[in-house]
Amino acid sequence: MPMRFSSAISALTTVGVMFALTAMPSAAQTLPAASFPSYTPPQTASGDPDLSGIWQSFTTANWEIVSHSVQPGPYAELLGVWGAGRAGFGIVEGDELPYQEWALTKRQENYDNRTVVNVTNDPSRFDTGEPELQCFRAGVPRANYMPYPFQIFQTPEQILIVYEYKGASRTVYMDYDRPALDASWMGTSNGHWEDDTLVIDVSGFNDHLWFDRAGNFASDALHVVERWTPVSPYHLRYEATIEDPNVFTRPWNIGFMLYRHVEENAKLNEFQCIPIVEPMMYRPLGFYDEDVTTD
Amino acid sequence: MGTRGFASRHTVILPIAVSLLATAPAAAQDQPPPSALINQEAAETVAAARAASPHTAESTYAYFQEEAEAFIADATHQDMWDPTDPRQAPPRTPWGDPDLEGYWLNVAYVPLERPDELAGKPLHTPEEAVTAFVRWATQDAAVDPATVHYDWTEFGMDNWQSPIRPNRRTSLVVDPPDGKIPALTPEGEIRLQAQARRHTLESRGLYERCIQGNQGPPRVPFVQNTGQSQIVQTPDYVILMTQANSDVRILHLDGSPHAPDSVRSYLGDSRAHWEGDTLVIETTNFHESRKWDGSADNLHLVERLTRVADDTLLYEATMTDPSTWESPWSIEVPWPMMEPPGLFESACHEQNYGIINVLRGARVRAAEYEAESAR
Repeated sequence: MPMRFSSAISALTTVGVMFALTAMPSAAQTLPAASFPSYTPPQTASGDPDLSGIWQSFTTANWEIVSHSVQPGPYAELLGVWGAGRAGFGIVEGDELPYQEWALTKRQENYDNRTVVNVTNDPSRFDTGEPELQCFRAGVPRANYMPYPFQIFQTPEQILIVYEYKGASRTVYMDYDRPALDASWMGTSNGHWEDDTLVIDVSGFNDHLWFDRAGNFASDALHVVERWTPVSPYHLRYEATIEDPNVFTRPWNIGFMLYRHVEENAKLNEFQCIPIVEPMMYRPLGFYDEDVTTD
Repeated sequence: MGTRGFASRHTVILPIAVSLLATAPAAAQDQPPPSALINQEAAETVAAARAASPHTAESTYAYFQEEAEAFIADATHQDMWDPTDPRQAPPRTPWGDPDLEGYWLNVAYVPLERPDELAGKPLHTPEEAVTAFVRWATQDAAVDPATVHYDWTEFGMDNWQSPIRPNRRTSLVVDPPDGKIPALTPEGEIRLQAQARRHTLESRGLYERCIQGNQGPPRVPFVQNTGQSQIVQTPDYVILMTQANSDVRILHLDGSPHAPDSVRSYLGDSRAHWEGDTLVIETTNFHESRKWDGSADNLHLVERLTRVADDTLLYEATMTDPSTWESPWSIEVPWPMMEPPGLFESACHEQNYGIINVLRGARVRAAEYEAESAR
C-alpha cells in the first residue's frame, strides 16, 4: 500500500496569486541578485572564475519543487517529527510547472505511488516509487537542491561536481562538446564561461528522473541549461532553464542560492545509501535469512 | 577460472560473482569454492556449463583471431613493465606537482600470487615475460565457454582488448618476497569464512550489491577489463574515479587529520601527500561491514602512485591489518594510459537486475546442496 502524505497542492494557488501581484523577476523569486554589490570572483591558475569549494542549497525543493506546506513524513505515528518536511517557497519562476495534460495525470499518479517500491529485474521497476527513496541518482537539476553538500573541482578542461548524496558525480567538459554516448541519470554536461558565469548544457538523461518527492517528473527529452554565477565569496546564484517537449508545454526556469561551507574541517562525507534501502527493496523478494524455507 | 559477467547494451556493468582471489589464475586452483552452498566454481558445474555452451574455446578464438593476433603483435612491441628500469622524471602540473592527470587502466595478466613452479623467481626474463603474455592473451581471447559472456560482437571487456602490456613480475604480490599473501590470523580466517557469499542478500559481495565497484580500495586488478580510472588533480586535491560503480575517492592534500574514529565509510577516509615524485595515499576508517578478503574495518591501507613513464602510472599498495594477516603485504601494478573519452556513469544499484538473478541462482544451488547432503 502506498503511504499517503498530506496534499500540498492547495498551497500552489495561494502563492500563484501572490506572484501575479508582484513584478515577475527574471528568475525565481528568492534570488537577491540586486542586493549583492558587484563582485569579481577570484581566478584559478588558468584564469577562469574559481567556483571550487563545498556548496549546498537550503531550499525545501527536494520535498516539492513548487511552494508547499509542512508535511508529516511516512509513519508519522512512529517517527513523529523525524520524517517531517518543512514548508517552503518554490524555486520555480511563476511557481507552477507547465505540464501537458497527460503529464499532469502522470504527476498525480507518481505522487500517489511514490512509496510503492516494486523491485524487478526489468525496467518496470521504474514505473512507481520515488528515486531518492530507493537510493537512485537524483539527476540534474535535482542533485543541486537536495539537502546534501556537493563539491566543485576545477581544471581548465573539466569541472568535476561530486555530490555527497550517493557519491554521484558529473564531469563538465569545458574543452569541447561531447555528445551524450547514452542515457544516464546525471546526464552529459558540456560547459563554457560567459563572463563570470559557468553555463552548462545538460542532456542525455534517462526516462526516470523526478524533480522532487512529490511526483514532478521529466522524460528522456529533458534538456537543462544551468547558469552558475558567483555573487560573493560565499554565495553562488544558480539558475536553470528546463525544457522537455514530451512533458511540458514550454520551457520553465528555476533559481536558488548556493551557500559555501566555510568551516575549517568542511569535507564531503560518504553517503552510502544502498545498505539503508536494501531491506526495503529486497526483503519482499525473500532474500534474507528469515525468508529461507527448509522444505 | 572464475566466472565472467556480461555487459548489457546499456551502460550498467552488472556485478558478477567472483572473489578477489579469482584474479590469481594459478593460486586459487585448488581452493574450495567460497561457500559450500555455492558450487558455481566446482569442477562439475564448470564442466556442465562448457557442455551446454553453443561455443567452444576454439570457435571463439577463430572469431577473434585476426584482432587478437594484431593486439599481441602490437603489445609485445611496446615497452614491457620492468621494475629494474630507471624511472623517468614525471611531467609537472603548472603548480609544480608531478602530473598524474589522465585516464589509466588497472589491468594485469600476472597472477596476484606467485605460482609454486616459479618459487624463488620474482622476475621473468624479458623473453619469458613475452612468452607468458602471449599465452595469457591467447587464452583470454579464446574465452572459456563455461563462462557467461557478453555479446561477443560488442567492444569487449576482455583484457586483451585493452592497452595491457607484458610485465616481468611473476606475481603482483611483491612483499612478502615469496609473492604470496601472508597467512590469515585465526581471527582473519573466521572473518573470511563469515564473509563467504551465500544465499542471503547481506552475504553477497559489495560489488554484487553495487555498494562498491570491483576496484577496491585497494585496487587489485579484476579478471575483466573493468579497471578504467581517471585522475583529476588540483593543488589541494587528487580525485580518483573508477568506471566500476562510478566510485569517486577524494584525496585530501591539505595535511588535515583523518576523520574521527567514529566516522566510518566503505571507501575509507583518504589523506595524501607527495614524497618526491610519488603520491602517497593513506586510507583508514573503513566501515565494519566492508568485507575485503577477510579484512574489515581494521584495514590500514597505504597506496602509492608514481608516473614512471609518460604512458605508465605505477600503483603500489600495502595492506596492514594485524587482526587479519600475519604480516603486511604489498602489490605492484603498472597502469597503462588509456585514451579518452574514458568514463561513463555506471548506475549499478539503480539497475541491479543481476543481484536478483544471483540470489535466485544461489537459492537453487543451496537447495541442491541440501538435497545432496540429506541423501
